Amino acid sequence: MDVIRAFLAELWKMFAADLLLSLGALACLGGVALGLHAHWLGAAAPIVLAAAVLIVLAAAVARSTVVEIRKRSDR
Amino acid sequence: MTSLATALPIIAAAFLASAVEVIEAFTIVLAVSVVRGPRPAILGTAAALIVLVLAVAIVGPVLAGVPIRGLQMTIGVLLLLFGLGWLRKAVLRAGGALPLHDEAAAFAKESAALRARAGAAAADWSAGMTAFQAVLLEGVEVVFIVLAVGARPGLLAPAAIGAALACVMVLAAGLLARRPLARIPENTLKFIVGGLLSGFGVFWSAEGLGAPFPLGDLAIPALIAVFLAAGLIMAMAIRRRLARAPAWT
Repeated sequence: MDVIRAFLAELWKMFAADLLLSLGALACLGGVALGLHAHWLGAAAPIVLAAAVLIVLAAAVARSTVVEIRKRSDR
Repeated sequence: MTSLATALPIIAAAFLASAVEVIEAFTIVLAVSVVRGPRPAILGTAAALIVLVLAVAIVGPVLAGVPIRGLQMTIGVLLLLFGLGWLRKAVLRAGGALPLHDEAAAFAKESAALRARAGAAAADWSAGMTAFQAVLLEGVEVVFIVLAVGARPGLLAPAAIGAALACVMVLAAGLLARRPLARIPENTLKFIVGGLLSGFGVFWSAEGLGAPFPLGDLAIPALIAVFLAAGLIMAMAIRRRLARAPAWT
């Protein structure tokens, strides 16, 4: 039981560390699943997923960079 | 009695097919071992192997019914979240937005050292879990390969031998590669591991969604290369952005 609790706590910590990144990645998966279900994507689905995840990563990196720049200029 | 002429192609087929899966798992285990040390990697791998052996022993006859897509999806999402987190932090460090090595100062004071130890334990835990997930997923796939290749009477043993040979050879190659890898700077390794996990995560998530990549397993190195290249471009963009930012001390 302790092992499961520790795993879930660690998972939550990792998830909450960068909500934009985690939620964005999950949104990409949800979007691709929806696209597949509605027959919008077809064979392009995995490429769309990889591209969407990269965009989310770039957005998260850009946001963190802006936050760091603000933090440093406030000091 | 199975003749050698019948067994050899089965051994070769199981060896080659299993080697692909074992290399995939071992790449992640090796990366975990180099970044967080051998302990979490060994513990995660051992735990996954125990679960696998128990699963095969208990539910062996119905193992073919395990929903592999569900397993791929779950593990793919977890690896993607781990990988993207690592890659984001490594990119920020490589770009200069975060300090390259901020743990050293924390070890100066006892209270900070305690916090650092707690953080290290958590990192070891997630590293161990990463190794566990990779070995479990690929292990299940190796079991499926053995069952599929050795499906005819008398061929299960040669298929299992082929898979076992693949495990031993990949393990030996990995042990030889570990020492040179350990000399690579920490952030570079985290950058590479972040790219690796993100690539595997996207691949398995897509497979789990029922949308496999056109090149099959060959898409994995391509995805890893794309994530690493994108990370490098982002790090360069951060450096340029920081150079234009107002001066600070």
